Amino acid sequence: MNSPPDLIVDRLSVAYRDQWVLQEISLTVPSGRVMAVIGPSGCGKSTFLRTVNRLVDRMPGVHLKGQIHVGSVEAIGDDVDLVGLRRMVGMVFQQPNPFPFSVFDNVAYGPRLEGVKNSSRLRAVVEHSLKQASLWDEVRGKLRRPASSLSGGQQQRLCIARALAVSPQVLLMDEPTAALDPSSTAKIEELILALKGEYTIILVTHNLQQAARVSDLIAFFRDGRLIEVGSTRDVFTAPKREETEEFLTGRYE
Amino acid sequence: MKGTRWHRLALVGSAIALIVFASLVGGLLWQGLPEISWHFLWSPPAETGIFGGIGPELLNTMTMVGAASLITVPLGLAGAVLRVEYGARPGFILLFDRIRYTFLSIPTIVIGLLVYQWVIVGLGWSLSIGTGVVALTAMNWPFVVDMSVSALEGVPDTFREASLALGGTRYLTLLRVVLPTALPALVSGLGMAMARLMGESAALIFTAGINVSKHWAFSAPGETLAVHLWYLRTESVAPHADAKAAATGVVLLTLVVLVLYVSQKLARWLKAVDG
Repeated sequence: MNSPPDLIVDRLSVAYRDQWVLQEISLTVPSGRVMAVIGPSGCGKSTFLRTVNRLVDRMPGVHLKGQIHVGSVEAIGDDVDLVGLRRMVGMVFQQPNPFPFSVFDNVAYGPRLEGVKNSSRLRAVVEHSLKQASLWDEVRGKLRRPASSLSGGQQQRLCIARALAVSPQVLLMDEPTAALDPSSTAKIEELILALKGEYTIILVTHNLQQAARVSDLIAFFRDGRLIEVGSTRDVFTAPKREETEEFLTGRYE
Repeated sequence: MKGTRWHRLALVGSAIALIVFASLVGGLLWQGLPEISWHFLWSPPAETGIFGGIGPELLNTMTMVGAASLITVPLGLAGAVLRVEYGARPGFILLFDRIRYTFLSIPTIVIGLLVYQWVIVGLGWSLSIGTGVVALTAMNWPFVVDMSVSALEGVPDTFREASLALGGTRYLTLLRVVLPTALPALVSGLGMAMARLMGESAALIFTAGINVSKHWAFSAPGETLAVHLWYLRTESVAPHADAKAAATGVVLLTLVVLVLYVSQKLARWLKAVDG
């Protein structure tokens, strides 16, 4: 397996109309590492994530400055191939959002978009992706069932499998366990640990314990700015900035 | 208890509504059902004698509503897709919605008048099934746009985001996620649109005409069931006009109920298939 790309964010700023929501963000996620992005609500975490795969473009009046390098691919610019970028950078959302199709059709959706029609190849991709998302054992033999018949946690793992099926190299996870119960959350966290190394992962989370358990790096955002970034151990045990410490100890929210 | 009082009031109100509705439909059935026979459904109307039927009217209603629906579905869906999926600019959405609501609230008889002006006076078409189809199409378009907009807006935006995030273009997202998800709502909305068209009368009186031709043709006059009903109650001197009107009403009602039932059933089935 090829090693996934580094993700280098270089002086990224994002504005909606004339209001800056992210300013001068610079950071690097090394190949195959997990970076947790933490910070108070409204600090720009989700916007940051959606800028990497350019889903922010859907917001009317959005304006981007700076650059994001995904390996050798540049994500910001007018002539970026968004389809290519998004195949390379997969995303998992806060609420499990499987399509109202069968389990199989959900996972096969991405490959079919790319034009894969061969049914045995599709089967292989679906099986492989479901195994990677550790959902295979629970859904084998039920692939024709509607995705809505799965539990919330299974649906979220299905969404992860769906994202993996187009062979991305980077995964963006936007509070993937926010809507899940503790045991489903634990499964997703195990999964993130298992995917580490194969994918460069950015995880937005409100759950500091989760950040501590699964991430290698922490980026702390506040008011649209990157306050501190460093190894998870360093940030949690000896934050360099006072704002970070305030947030970690619950004095700021 | 305030809650129970309101509850009781609602129950009484519902009961009254049900009784009124049942007596209306019941009266219609009581008067109309004995008239209905294969002969009545099959043969042309007659001013003299008691043997007139509604065969051509039945055929005209179905073909005109069918043709108008066939034309409006792609047109209406296209408008709604433009509004919901591609109309990113707020200014465009505002303008679109203004026009949509204006057209939706124009009385159908006025639309009929416009069609009369443009198609019959302007283009020189005759009072015919073809002109009637144009009128039905014109009045149905805003309605189909409206129900398609609702259907598309009913598709959760997270589906679009998921598809785009997987490298789907906007077009493929529309084709493979949005439309299949919206299909049940579209089908049931189309049923309502067809039922509404079947009951249209005023605008058709002076576009499709109030009589039927011996030989069916798009360029021949084509009275529909609803128009025939109006005619029987106001103009006809035929014997048994009352009973025939009631019978025509029963047939029209049956057709409407049938269309609604089938479209709802189909919509539910499609939803179950999607899961």
